Amino acid sequence: MKGYLSPAVEVRRLARLIGADPEDLVYFERLEGQAIRDLRDQVTVAMFDADRQLLQRVAVATKLVPAKLGAVIGERAFGALLCARITGLLDPSRAVDISKHLPVTFLADLCLHLDPRRASRVIGEMPPDTVAAIAAQLVAGEEYIAMGGFVGHLSKAALLAALDAVDDESLLRTAYVIEAKQNISALVALLPDERLANIIATASGADLWAEALDVLAHVTERQRGALGDLAAAQDDEVLDSMVRAALRDDLWSEVLPVIRAMSPESRERFATLKSIQARPVLATIMDAAAEDSLWAELLVLLPLLPITARRQVATLATAFNRETFEQIIGAAHEEELWPGLIAFATELDKGPRREIAKLIDDSDPDVLQSLLTAVHDTSLEANLMAVIRELPATGQRHLGTRIAAAPTELVDALSAAADEAGLKPLSEALTK
Amino acid sequence: MSQAARRILKPELGGSVPGGLEELTEEELSGFASMLRIAKRRQSEELETAVDEALEIVPRLLRRPVRKILFG
Repeated sequence: MKGYLSPAVEVRRLARLIGADPEDLVYFERLEGQAIRDLRDQVTVAMFDADRQLLQRVAVATKLVPAKLGAVIGERAFGALLCARITGLLDPSRAVDISKHLPVTFLADLCLHLDPRRASRVIGEMPPDTVAAIAAQLVAGEEYIAMGGFVGHLSKAALLAALDAVDDESLLRTAYVIEAKQNISALVALLPDERLANIIATASGADLWAEALDVLAHVTERQRGALGDLAAAQDDEVLDSMVRAALRDDLWSEVLPVIRAMSPESRERFATLKSIQARPVLATIMDAAAEDSLWAELLVLLPLLPITARRQVATLATAFNRETFEQIIGAAHEEELWPGLIAFATELDKGPRREIAKLIDDSDPDVLQSLLTAVHDTSLEANLMAVIRELPATGQRHLGTRIAAAPTELVDALSAAADEAGLKPLSEALTK
Repeated sequence: MSQAARRILKPELGGSVPGGLEELTEEELSGFASMLRIAKRRQSEELETAVDEALEIVPRLLRRPVRKILFG
């Protein structure tokens, strides 16, 4: 979901810009979110250009009247929409002065029509208490899309004040529609752990996992891990609700990276959840891993699953083809997850296990070397033998010849394991 | 970029028409162009009315310089 712009949200923004009912523009939802946003940017320019001269003259004329009178004129004569068009043309301090004389309801209404990118300096200078009051007003009107546009333009103090004024559910709904997703990690960094834990509980209680997981997709890896740990510390009920939501809404591609980023203890907690071990859940996890190449994420999770769940995964993996196993081995190599791969491979049925053994035999020298080193470091020689066993004698000899070129220490350990496992062709090739 | 999108939207959007609109039919594009045209006209009318009303509110003393800035 990274960088994803919801077409429905973008349509609502576009509709608001031209004063239309979003229902009348529903056909735009067939387009990519980015295409709708690009169009909105162009429409913003066109709407402004239509009255550019007069809008600019109004902005200049505003300098002649006292701020209080400017506020009266703005509210009575121009209204929120036109004031929004003019705001970005005003000197920021002047705009702030005028805003001090305007009711919060009017300012909130103005914010609905404001293009934050055109009024960034004004927004940046707005006092925190005003911003908090406007945020509370926007929350009351459930105007999350408008609020989401302001993050990234507010000062840190104003953002903190707004965060205090917004409840957890509204915050989640707002974060989901934040326009500049790159600002989500800065926003999360401002929230204490206690609040973040409450927000996770809210995601469960209000069934907002899609929103919460979207936030998690846009934070730093470290934050993702920390938030994952906070989630793992919640009751089973909370985590079960996430599993249900992931199954229902196809969210495993968002969940798996979170599980990977967690601490080992948290990962274990997730892996031993009863709800995650159900076959339909495991099947959708495997589908997501295959669809988005999340093999590294899967290899981190699989060894932690209880044996019955691992057997289910092994059964599901019989449907994998050579290309898929190739990708899994590639992920194990790139992310140094060989122990996870070996554990996975040893539990597969004979056919897929043979496929992996063949791929190991066909692998590049550096891939084989890194596998052998990892196997030796983690004393998984016997497990590797269980995989190599599936190779025919010629394959074992061929692989043995390749392994024989490895450092003596590795070769000796593997030779002993081959003897122990009764893999004669391999053992002979290793001792030649 | 879709030729239809460029042809239909350019008069209303001015400068450039962004890509990614290929999936819209000519009818949909025309409908949107019409909504945009109406929105611009409405904005212009509201702005003119607002300026007139603003001049009523501005104190007599300031009215002349304000009018000069607004209308040259």
